[in-house]
Amino acid sequence: MFRRPSSRRKSGSHAIELNLVPMMDAFVTLIAFLLYTMAFVAFISVETPLPTSSPLEVAEALKEKPLQLTVSIREDDVQIWSAFDKVPSKVIKNMEPGIPDFKLIHEHLISIKQQFPSENKVVIAPAGLINYEAIIGAMDSIRLLEPTDPAIFAKNAAGVDEQIKQLFPEVIFGNILGRD
Amino acid sequence: MGAYRSIRGRKRRDKVNKLFELQLTSMIDVLVIILVFLLKSYQTSTNNLTTVPGLQMPISSSIEDARDSLQVIVTPEGITFENVRIVDFVQTEATAGASQGAEYKFAAQDLDEEGRRIVALYDALVKAKEKSEFLKAQSTVRDDKGQPMPFDGVIAITADKRIQYETIRKIMYTSGAAGYKIFRFIAQRKET
Repeated sequence: MFRRPSSRRKSGSHAIELNLVPMMDAFVTLIAFLLYTMAFVAFISVETPLPTSSPLEVAEALKEKPLQLTVSIREDDVQIWSAFDKVPSKVIKNMEPGIPDFKLIHEHLISIKQQFPSENKVVIAPAGLINYEAIIGAMDSIRLLEPTDPAIFAKNAAGVDEQIKQLFPEVIFGNILGRD
Repeated sequence: MGAYRSIRGRKRRDKVNKLFELQLTSMIDVLVIILVFLLKSYQTSTNNLTTVPGLQMPISSSIEDARDSLQVIVTPEGITFENVRIVDFVQTEATAGASQGAEYKFAAQDLDEEGRRIVALYDALVKAKEKSEFLKAQSTVRDDKGQPMPFDGVIAITADKRIQYETIRKIMYTSGAAGYKIFRFIAQRKET
């Protein structure tokens, strides 16, 4: 069982060399795989439904006189108004022609949401010359709540106050059928 | 060859071979750092959405990942549906070949219904819808009533950020007329 003193002395002197070559092979393969399958541009989507309504649905909806908050984006300004005058109309000047002041729009919409916390729909009506970037920016300021925004609570299905996570998540284009 | 013929030469060769060992540890260190960086910033794509060179996509703070669907791409040169160019915009002398200031004008014969519907896009969308409905009818996947799954009617719109709403509106109108009820605007995720 016990080794001779001479062999005991020698046993500790052999250094074990780790064979790093297969490990390096594995790393190179992993890096190649990750680089190949990596998405360098992350796509996100903003969904909006086609506005559809039957005359019966419209008549039913009009009985209650909904908020029907509308954001009209024009070349020089943005108007936020309600079709049934539930909120006073507000005109916000654009920062530059065709570039809305997203911060002011967002702040005004927060104040409306505080009055109507259960409302989720906004009708958006951009003018024909407004560019796509401005529309996406406006939709972001309408739909999303920033972490720095004041907390807004709405009653959930169980009747309990719950903090809302999105401002007006349902954005509908109101002038697809129309013209300028 | 001649240099190693002597005993001294052979000894020198053996000495060189013994001394030359590739230092893999530092290389492993570098590879580990690259691997950690890649794993940290790794995000796989769960869709087949494509883009084209020169297309400047808008940036959005939205957090919803873009899911797979039929895709319309609008570039300054024309409209592409499922990687097939179906409409070419009319280029003026000033804008031909230049992405800046392109006008996105349609040729008169490309539009109907008082300039609101894009004929070629409508035809392509209807064909794609019919194909999708046919495939769903052939599929064994059924709903609760035993009927084929309904057509989802989702169209992804990838457009250059400089495109005007007038063009987007025509695309939405055409898609709506062809039976597509949900528009999915594709944008680039804002870096946080």
